[in-house]
Amino acid sequence: MSYIEIRDLNFSYRDDEKPLSVLRDVSLDIEKGEYVAIVGHNGSGKSTLAKLLNLVIDDYEGFEGSIKVDGKEITSSDMTEDDIYELRKKIGMVFQNPDNQLVATIVEEDVAFGPENLGLPREEIRARVDGALMTVGMTAYAKHEPHRLSGGQKQRIAIAGIIAMKPECIIFDESTAMLDPMGRREVVDTMEKLNREEGKTVITITHYMDEAVRADRVIVIDDGKVVLDGKPSEIFAEDKLLRQCGLDLPLCADLLLRLRARGFSLKGEINTPEQCAQTIADALGK
Amino acid sequence: MSKIKIENVCYVYDGGTPFETVALDNINIEIRENTVTGIIGHTGSGKSTLVQMFNGLIKPTSGKILLDGVDIWEKPKEISKVRFRVGLVMQYPEYQLFEETVRADIAFGPKNMGLDDAEVARRVHEAASFVGLDESSLDKSPFDLSGGQKRRAAIAGVMAMRPEVLVLDEPSAGLDPAGKNTIFDGIKRYAAATGAAVIIVSHSMDDMAKYCEDLVVLSHSKVVMSGKRNEVFGQGELLEKIGLGVPQMTGLMMMLREKGIDVPADIYTVDDAEAALARILGGAL
Amino acid sequence: MSSIALGQYYPSKSFMHRLDPRMKIIIGIAYIVASFLCTNVFSFALLLLSAVVLIVISRIPIKVVLRSIKAIIFIMLFTAVLNVFWTKGKPEELLFSWQFINIYSSGLYNAAFIVVRIVSMIIGTSIFLTYTTTPIQLTDALERLLSPLKVIKVPVHEFAMMMTIALRFIPTIVEETGKIMSAQKARGADFTNGSISKRAKALVPVLIPLFVSAFRRAGELATAMTCRCYRGGEGRTRMTKLTLTYRDFVALFFIAAFIAGIVLLNIFAPGYTMGG
Repeated sequence: MSYIEIRDLNFSYRDDEKPLSVLRDVSLDIEKGEYVAIVGHNGSGKSTLAKLLNLVIDDYEGFEGSIKVDGKEITSSDMTEDDIYELRKKIGMVFQNPDNQLVATIVEEDVAFGPENLGLPREEIRARVDGALMTVGMTAYAKHEPHRLSGGQKQRIAIAGIIAMKPECIIFDESTAMLDPMGRREVVDTMEKLNREEGKTVITITHYMDEAVRADRVIVIDDGKVVLDGKPSEIFAEDKLLRQCGLDLPLCADLLLRLRARGFSLKGEINTPEQCAQTIADALGK
Repeated sequence: MSKIKIENVCYVYDGGTPFETVALDNINIEIRENTVTGIIGHTGSGKSTLVQMFNGLIKPTSGKILLDGVDIWEKPKEISKVRFRVGLVMQYPEYQLFEETVRADIAFGPKNMGLDDAEVARRVHEAASFVGLDESSLDKSPFDLSGGQKRRAAIAGVMAMRPEVLVLDEPSAGLDPAGKNTIFDGIKRYAAATGAAVIIVSHSMDDMAKYCEDLVVLSHSKVVMSGKRNEVFGQGELLEKIGLGVPQMTGLMMMLREKGIDVPADIYTVDDAEAALARILGGAL
Repeated sequence: MSSIALGQYYPSKSFMHRLDPRMKIIIGIAYIVASFLCTNVFSFALLLLSAVVLIVISRIPIKVVLRSIKAIIFIMLFTAVLNVFWTKGKPEELLFSWQFINIYSSGLYNAAFIVVRIVSMIIGTSIFLTYTTTPIQLTDALERLLSPLKVIKVPVHEFAMMMTIALRFIPTIVEETGKIMSAQKARGADFTNGSISKRAKALVPVLIPLFVSAFRRAGELATAMTCRCYRGGEGRTRMTKLTLTYRDFVALFFIAAFIAGIVLLNIFAPGYTMGG
């Protein structure tokens, strides 16, 4: 049994007259402790998929299929308010706009918001807040006002707010889209750390391929369907299909594929610039 | 002749109070005609302040901004005329849309210029075609468009004023690769059709390498480098030191050189790299 | 741009800053009451002295304090002048008379009293409630002080949460307003020239995007809060605990002594007593 099991998921929004199909026949398994990137262009349905996992969609009328989290069918009709609450304790979510997910005017009070909602004892909340700020490297900013921080810092506070609830899985819904390169790096490093060091299941929704490359597994969604699912290097081999889906390759991978297409034999990994340099050097015997 | 010349411009926030901050420190830049100039810098480097100086939204504390050789602040009452000549697209411009239809929204700028209805309609049509918005979407509410389309509608709203200089602050922020390409294609179409000078602010070295001929690098309120693309990217170490890095392909070439492979230094885009490596790999076989 | 001040909180670590915000609300109210209790020259003198003492121990620069007084200087002068001209004292108090204008010494006293009362009240409340207390501390303290009202179904937590969110988003919205105004100015919008109706109309392109964005933010925030297991005040605990320390009791003692002093001076000290 996988941690998350999605079976024959179909979802459509009611738009004016005709329903707008967003997800079609999606079946996926995500294991505990996996680091998965879900990629697709804007409007491909990837964000809807993420929101369904946490049941934060306004209207479930257009829903078919089943989603199981940790063995429990979250989409069954006998889910109670308390069951949904338990689900949200297990799966945390970080969103796109860092400004619109911070509640308090002091960093540490914001991080405490989730644990406070869980009704934890005071000392426990304190310990969790301190620990979470440490994990994201923002301890020095505990007493700061969020609106004075950079985008990347705000987003790390939002992440700390989720970590402090000790979820098993964290979903990042385009959490890097509004950040500058430095902020993006900070957030992706944090994601990686949460997966590798803390053993969290990390699902990141993005359209940046150079972020997806850092995951163990990449799932490409186009037009509501899963079109590719595999290791990053397997995904990049399908460059034509990726481009049809409105996505780009990381530049280095693009370069090596172009050179291969010209008939040069370049064997080796092509995910990161370092790997690409090595692959080229090997071909030249250096 | 340079289209815009910025001479010894300084800008100080909250001058005379304990919160005094220098946002721009003695800036000197020339923007050439018919050229795409890129402005690079970290968040907080002064970029956003600089961008709002080109069209007179912010008045420098000292120094001059010359448009075609004339100081734009010579007649402060006529600063709005400068805003029609130097069009500014701010970050996330889709948040400025307000009209009932896309058509009316794009017409906002031209109408403020006092153009007659026929001319306004012509401008709207032309701007929409630059950014690739089809006629059917012009009668929709801007709030019903997709994210990428909203962005294009907002950019068209500035293009419709037919500015001689088009300034764009992070025009592709947050868009997916397809959306980004559409935006840059639109900018290129506008520049080709009007001969306007284009200034693009971006964080992405790779975008800068791909689209810009001239570059200006800002760091801590100062211009640290400016010149032709190769002059700036040629100083890879300094760029790394500022924390901006170099385009990925330039970085890859630096790694290859360390491995003892003799690759040329002036490589910035995938096209450059492909050509150079094909030559080297071809020679080695 | 990040210097948008929320309220007028003046960061420092003075005795006053470290008082429990709940105590500051109570003392602040007591201080207003005290200013109304004053009736004669001596009690008003004590009131004025207390205001000076407050400034000294809160370590707020006098310039900053004067700024808050400056805001109401017109109202203050107006009431003072009214008092000077309208007070009808006893014939022996008449100082100056010209046509229908009669100025009595009692009028001058009354005007001075009013000024002292207003100045002290402004200094007192702003020192207790704005300069030394952040808005969020205030909200928090109010929630806790009013929490007994939950018994009679007053949604105290909900109000406090709304206040907190409002405080959190004010700087964001102010910044956004600036950006949208710049964007529309870049398209030739003119907010400064023309008739009032023209200028009001010019704000439409700012207000509509602002509302749209506020709704979007509210929606996103609600989703984020839901994901963080928020379901109202019930079952919620708090990380920070407000505890009263010896300081708070010292402060309480002083305010009690101060009120007692004013009452005693009113009764026993001779001198001009306020009156019509």
